[in-house]
Amino acid sequence: MAVVTISRHFGSGGEFVAQLVAEKMGYLLVNKAIIAKNMRSFGTYDPEMAYFDEKTVKLENGEKNLEMEQRRRNYLEGLHEFFYDMAIRENLVILGRGGQILFRDFPPSLHVKIMAPLQNRLARVSRLYHLDEAASARLISEQDRDREAYLRQVFGCNWLDPELYNLVINTGLTGLEESAAIIVKAAQLKEGAGEVPIQELEERLLEQQENTAAIHDASGTSPHFAHPSEAEFARMLDFYRIKWLYEPKTFPLEWDSEGAVTEAFSPDFYLPDQDLYLELTTQKQKLVWKKNKKIRRLKEIYPEVQIKIIYGRDYRGLLKKYGIEEEGE
Amino acid sequence: MKQKREHSLEVLLTREQIQTRVAQLGEEITRDYKGAGELVLAAVLRGSVYFAVDLSRHLDLPFILDFIGISSYGRGSAYEGIVRITKDLESNIAHKNVLLLEDILDTGLTLNYLIRNLNTRNPSSLRVCAFLDMPARRIVDIPVDYCGFNLPDLFVVGYGLDYHERYRNLEFVAELQEL
Repeated sequence: MAVVTISRHFGSGGEFVAQLVAEKMGYLLVNKAIIAKNMRSFGTYDPEMAYFDEKTVKLENGEKNLEMEQRRRNYLEGLHEFFYDMAIRENLVILGRGGQILFRDFPPSLHVKIMAPLQNRLARVSRLYHLDEAASARLISEQDRDREAYLRQVFGCNWLDPELYNLVINTGLTGLEESAAIIVKAAQLKEGAGEVPIQELEERLLEQQENTAAIHDASGTSPHFAHPSEAEFARMLDFYRIKWLYEPKTFPLEWDSEGAVTEAFSPDFYLPDQDLYLELTTQKQKLVWKKNKKIRRLKEIYPEVQIKIIYGRDYRGLLKKYGIEEEGE
Repeated sequence: MKQKREHSLEVLLTREQIQTRVAQLGEEITRDYKGAGELVLAAVLRGSVYFAVDLSRHLDLPFILDFIGISSYGRGSAYEGIVRITKDLESNIAHKNVLLLEDILDTGLTLNYLIRNLNTRNPSSLRVCAFLDMPARRIVDIPVDYCGFNLPDLFVVGYGLDYHERYRNLEFVAELQEL
């Protein structure tokens, strides 16, 4: 069967182009969701696949974690077998993951690189994820570094080597739909097919893309407090006439290789007059490391955001100061 | 019914340390306000009374000593309401320099309200002098112009600070520890 592989710079619109190509040609788009779903039935699923997917091995104290390295190798072997197995039965559009190398000599195949000037990518990432320019630049740099390192580590190839591709498309000069149309035409020529399949899905896809972006901005202003301590804290702020909003914003913290948010954080309170976010935690100190990690990440990506954590002991100190008995004590 | 807990006190600031520092603050404030117009010392009831009295003895300039009280969260009937002034300043502070004296600046919630309130009365300047500052507890940032001592996040009593109205009259500051 035919294979189109699409390698993409983060923020170049490559995922969207791949989706359009798959829709126009009636091919199966092999992205993270499809891999997770199908590898489960293929018997090589690893629940920590997000850790390995298009990611390189991280050294711990200068050394590889051998157990993780072995799991990663198993995962990669399984993934590549899965690709070959699928290619026998289906026409595929494979997004990233070294498809251009795995299917280099596969007869009906087309390998495409999607790139765009940094300014265009910054604008797209900033618009899709509601990030400022500096945060977008950091994210782009991280994701590109991961993909470049993945190809070097797994296949010993240079990601930017033009000899790996039939086509290199700059979406800064060519629109996403135009890019998809070029790829479809090129794939058909390679396949020796004549007619262009149905191309009426653009509007629905665009709408779908916008809806996905809107989820990242989801916020709830209704104060249905998750914990009694938050309700008590809100009463305290009210008492001192401090304006507050409850969980008004969710900050995306991690993205997978296709740009989908895999980790996010919603601080409990926002004080608009102070332009300050507050996170209240009543967990024991030894259990708050996950939250601390998220907040460190938030500060890295959004250095302009002011956030403070009120730990359990701080909160209990407040109750003591105000002579309030803690609930459940 | 909860049993009343017993406490021990560990001295953090001795009487001598406090008196030396208060005298230094007095000199600093005298230097800054000399010839600057009328000064109102607005001491926040009730914790800062001891501090205000001692500090005022080290000021070598004319001033008006005044007091302001506000309700505290979580105590008595005010619990469900909003902060309110329980005892207002008797002086008109318009076009005067005001120095707010507070026993302890921790969350910043009380001073945030007081600063907003007093600023509406058009003082020519409004500054903050806190005997103790516990920045680790801060929720709302407050500019501190004069500070006696910085302390870590501890529950302290003495020199005006109480625990259920006890220990205010100690001449030193101590950490209150439950036994």
